[in-house]
Amino acid sequence: MSELTQTSEQSIAAVAQVAKDNTVTHVLVDTFRRLIKKPLGLMGLILVSTIVLSALFASVIAPYDPIALDILNRLKPPSSEHWLGTDQLGRDTFSRVLYGGQIALQVALSSIALALGFGLLLGLLAGFGPRWLDNLILTLFDMVRSFPTIIFALAVVTLTGPSVSTIILVVVITSIPIYGRVVRTQTQALAQQEFILAERAMNASMPRILFRHMLPNVIGQLLILASMDIPIVITIEAGLSFLGLGIQPPTPSWGSIINDGYSFIRNTPWPIIAGGLPLIITTLGFTFLGESLRDIFDPKLRKDV
Amino acid sequence: MTIQTTHSSNSPAAQQPAMPVENIIAIKDLSVKFEVAGGFVFGLKNVNVSVPRGQIIGIVGESGSGKSTLIYTLTQLMAENAVIDSGSADMDGEDLLAKTPRQMQQLLGQDIAMIFQDPMTSLNPVFSIEKQMTDIQYRLNLSYSEKKQRAIDALTRVGIPNPELRLPRFPHEFSGGQLQRICIAMALMAKPKLLIADEPTTALDASLEVQIIDLLKELQAEIGCSMIFVSHHLGVVGTLCDYTVVMYHGDVVEQGPTVDVFNNPQHAYTQRLLACDPARIKEPTKRLPTMSSEGTEHIAIPSGSYLASQLTEQNTHPENSAEHLLDIDELRIRFPIQSKLAALISGNKDPYLHAVKGVSLTLDAGETLAIVGESGSGKTTVAQAILGLNQPWSGKIHFQGKELLSMEAKARGKTRRDIAMMFQDPISSLSPRMKIADLITEPLVIHGLPFDSRAQEAKRLLGMVGLPLDFANRYPHQLSGGQARRVGVARALAQSPKLIVADEPTAGLDVSVQGEILNLLNQLQEDLNIAILIITHNLNIVRHVADRTLIMNMGDIVEQGETQGIFANPQHSYTKQLLAANVHPDPV
Amino acid sequence: MWLFLLKRSALAVLIVILAVTALYLMIHAIPGDPASIILGPRATDEMKAALYIKMGLDQPVYMQLLSFFGNILSGDLGYDVFSQRDVSDIVFEQLPWTLALIFCAIVWAALVGIPLGCYSAIYANTWFDTITGIISVGTIAIPSFVVAIYSLLIFSVTLHWLPAIGAGERGDVLSQLEHLILPAFAVGLGWVGYISRLVRSSMLEVLGSNHIRTAKAFGLPSRWITFRYALRLAILPTVTLLGVGIGYLLSASLFAEIVFARPGIGKLIFDAVSTRNYPVVMGAVLVTTALFVIATTLADFINALLDPRMRAKR
Repeated sequence: MSELTQTSEQSIAAVAQVAKDNTVTHVLVDTFRRLIKKPLGLMGLILVSTIVLSALFASVIAPYDPIALDILNRLKPPSSEHWLGTDQLGRDTFSRVLYGGQIALQVALSSIALALGFGLLLGLLAGFGPRWLDNLILTLFDMVRSFPTIIFALAVVTLTGPSVSTIILVVVITSIPIYGRVVRTQTQALAQQEFILAERAMNASMPRILFRHMLPNVIGQLLILASMDIPIVITIEAGLSFLGLGIQPPTPSWGSIINDGYSFIRNTPWPIIAGGLPLIITTLGFTFLGESLRDIFDPKLRKDV
Repeated sequence: MTIQTTHSSNSPAAQQPAMPVENIIAIKDLSVKFEVAGGFVFGLKNVNVSVPRGQIIGIVGESGSGKSTLIYTLTQLMAENAVIDSGSADMDGEDLLAKTPRQMQQLLGQDIAMIFQDPMTSLNPVFSIEKQMTDIQYRLNLSYSEKKQRAIDALTRVGIPNPELRLPRFPHEFSGGQLQRICIAMALMAKPKLLIADEPTTALDASLEVQIIDLLKELQAEIGCSMIFVSHHLGVVGTLCDYTVVMYHGDVVEQGPTVDVFNNPQHAYTQRLLACDPARIKEPTKRLPTMSSEGTEHIAIPSGSYLASQLTEQNTHPENSAEHLLDIDELRIRFPIQSKLAALISGNKDPYLHAVKGVSLTLDAGETLAIVGESGSGKTTVAQAILGLNQPWSGKIHFQGKELLSMEAKARGKTRRDIAMMFQDPISSLSPRMKIADLITEPLVIHGLPFDSRAQEAKRLLGMVGLPLDFANRYPHQLSGGQARRVGVARALAQSPKLIVADEPTAGLDVSVQGEILNLLNQLQEDLNIAILIITHNLNIVRHVADRTLIMNMGDIVEQGETQGIFANPQHSYTKQLLAANVHPDPV
Repeated sequence: MWLFLLKRSALAVLIVILAVTALYLMIHAIPGDPASIILGPRATDEMKAALYIKMGLDQPVYMQLLSFFGNILSGDLGYDVFSQRDVSDIVFEQLPWTLALIFCAIVWAALVGIPLGCYSAIYANTWFDTITGIISVGTIAIPSFVVAIYSLLIFSVTLHWLPAIGAGERGDVLSQLEHLILPAFAVGLGWVGYISRLVRSSMLEVLGSNHIRTAKAFGLPSRWITFRYALRLAILPTVTLLGVGIGYLLSASLFAEIVFARPGIGKLIFDAVSTRNYPVVMGAVLVTTALFVIATTLADFINALLDPRMRAKR
């Protein structure tokens, strides 16, 4: 028992460990079961599904057009007609929050997918390629990371003007290094592993080693990293929109709802509360989910292995 | 004088004490279980062991036998999920298990001292040896310089040269052997009544092992303490210990004076364990005894497989006998240890680690050659060079008459079809996310060899290495060390190689499983006329399996020749030293 | 060790040079005449021509870059035509405000986070650990600008406990400190969680290691083992995190400065971006980037001092 110390290969087989049977659905079902057993995981799952569903069905749920003005009913507190009140132009805050969720998730998913792809590619190149390429890519990563994210975003916005694609561009550029570094470190660690040496000894081709043997061992960790990156990206989007440099009016965004509320903070607290809460719920939800996923897949933290 | 008897329905009749000896420790009916998901697993089952004052008792067992659980339970250092189910452990009449953590802390480092398995990680990496050695004397009412002097004295006693200068150093600046000496010095300073050593030599090379064992023996006699020595190595326990306790699956199956246990084992498990130890088999044999009959049976090569077709081909086209299958000539391999720029700045004219300094060897079909050496001898580097896993600096490697090193990468890749390698760590050399069936048939795919279906080929290969067919759908982490090793053999066989390079084929395996794997390799060699190159530090298995042996030290070949000749009449002093370190005569 | 530190510093310098070059090229890659962009739509042709020569835009790009670096080395970050002042004067006037904010935030976060992490590790898997775990993860997740606005809303606008905007009276330390409380709270809150989680996990790892078992086996007192032997090692990753953290804190302090209308480098950059004042954006971003790189390098140096294994590294 205590002598059966965990061996390093187990940490690499982390994801495979969960798969008692090997079908993808089985892994998913198994992961889901483990998630709902953890209080943090269950909370995360509930929060995330609330946000995702309400964003998906925004057009069905929303009682008003999110950009329809109603000057007579401006800065109203919550009521039965306007669940979260109205903003300075009389727009229904609840409807705006729902549509704001759409934007937030769109930005998060598309930019993370892009960053993941580029990061994977560059990371594999750095990890498996020649030394000079590794050094070059690493230095580039370091350079990009040397700009504080929001300040870098501001610099880019100054040049290209505020828009959704600017946000995505900024997020992709600043998060490629995060994924790339993990892939590189993992690839290099794997390259020292005996099973990769064994493949090389069998004369397996480079693509075979990279894609059949390395990728499956890296991808799980990347996906967990991505799920933990979602709240960060949503925060960047909301932050830029709050500064008025992100999503442009009249398109609703949580950040711009807060910004509108900030200007009228002495008149009414409701737009700030309404814009901040979904942001908190989303970031909390995804963070709880990501943390629990990491607990599940990281055998070092698992007690029942 | 002897130890008390054991419990257990299947244990032999108790040996009656001839002259009672006072016990420092008396463990009675100790059961420990571990909390795991969905229940409990037993770690110890009704264990009764006594430690006589002033004597050394050895606890032997394979991994998972509960030997470590026993000593960590005594010292309350066990894992958090361990629960003591029943029993007591009296030390000088006081139950250790009933002590509060605070009382236990008083005992540890005063009456009880411990030495651990891996010296490299047993000391705090960010504190100097001086700090760690003076800190453990915190209970003594001495000035700092007096504590320091005691540390220096202890280090001198265990043979650390220049202790005054070495004391302010950090653990990473010492070698493994030196660190274990330091750990022993720390235990020595406590002047304990009981010294517990948990596999103190497992992480060390054989020649160091002998020195550490001798040191422990001397110091035990000097302090006059009792000692519990835990090991999986029968030979070491035989040389060092007065009493031997044999454990298996949480049970004590046998205990008594070492002489009796070794010469007249009562329990079937002990008998097999002694019989399986290759070191104890006097006559060299290619058929080693194993715990079970499994693996010793002759395996038939299924007809219709790719392998069978190769077999007939091999028989009809015998190799040219004048030419060696493998011929390595003056192979030199070096690794840069400094960048060229750094070397230039620091004026280092030779910024290389010379891992292999001119090695020449030959190997013929159907022959087994063993390269023996301690860690750092360069033996694995040679093996990897044959497979093209590193770039030799100079020399030649001829395989089937063709020079490998000057070949184009592509042509060289083709020769790889005839050479297979088995790696040191059986489980981590298997790609973790692939099924066994895919793993063992992968060489066929890589080399584009003909086969009907992967599933069928996998079945045949599993059959050849004596694994159940349902293993095809398992993943590497679901295998035991021995099973994974068999999978490694199966994968090596898939491409029907002419040469198998086996790097430490028995490392990490229990004695009983070692024999199975070696027998399997030997039998397949006979059937298929494969040449085998074994890389190992384990001289005991070499004696049985290798036709010829080559001894390496620091990148040089110090001696080579027929295995029997080398063992009977070693020429080089290093060989003699190695052989001496490996001999563990039976206790008398 | 010295070689390692030298290499590390050289790399830091290289990164700053690369980052500045990238920024410079980016600014010059925008379509249109830089002079008219900088001067804005109301500029006359003479003004543009004068600035053109002054900025050296008539020279090839690499010459411009060279003279730009030359200027930086002599402490000249450019000239702000709007306020008619040197950019370096403007930036270094604002920098202390931001540094004070970051310093306060990091100090309170470390003072709370480190003990919290230690005790979570010691009492791992108890209710205390579970609750601190949820709170820590929660504080990491909530965006700092939301914390800033909510705390402004609660403590200033609603409860009137603390001042809402500004940085306090000039020369009045007490008032300045009072104005620092809410921003530092908002900036540091997430870091309490970060630090406590990191300390907890590295502490757990260290507590499970062989040398801690050795210390226990020699009967060292448990408090001694935890706070001297284990914490000394477990703190190393946190030191690195704090270095990298300066970058994130710069971002967080930007929001805090805007929400609480404090002077500072973040506010400076934001205002400059709004007015499209390129020289100021450039100068301020350059200084923050340099600050960030210096902080991470410094963290590595401190790590090398604390960890003898690092000292042996080449």
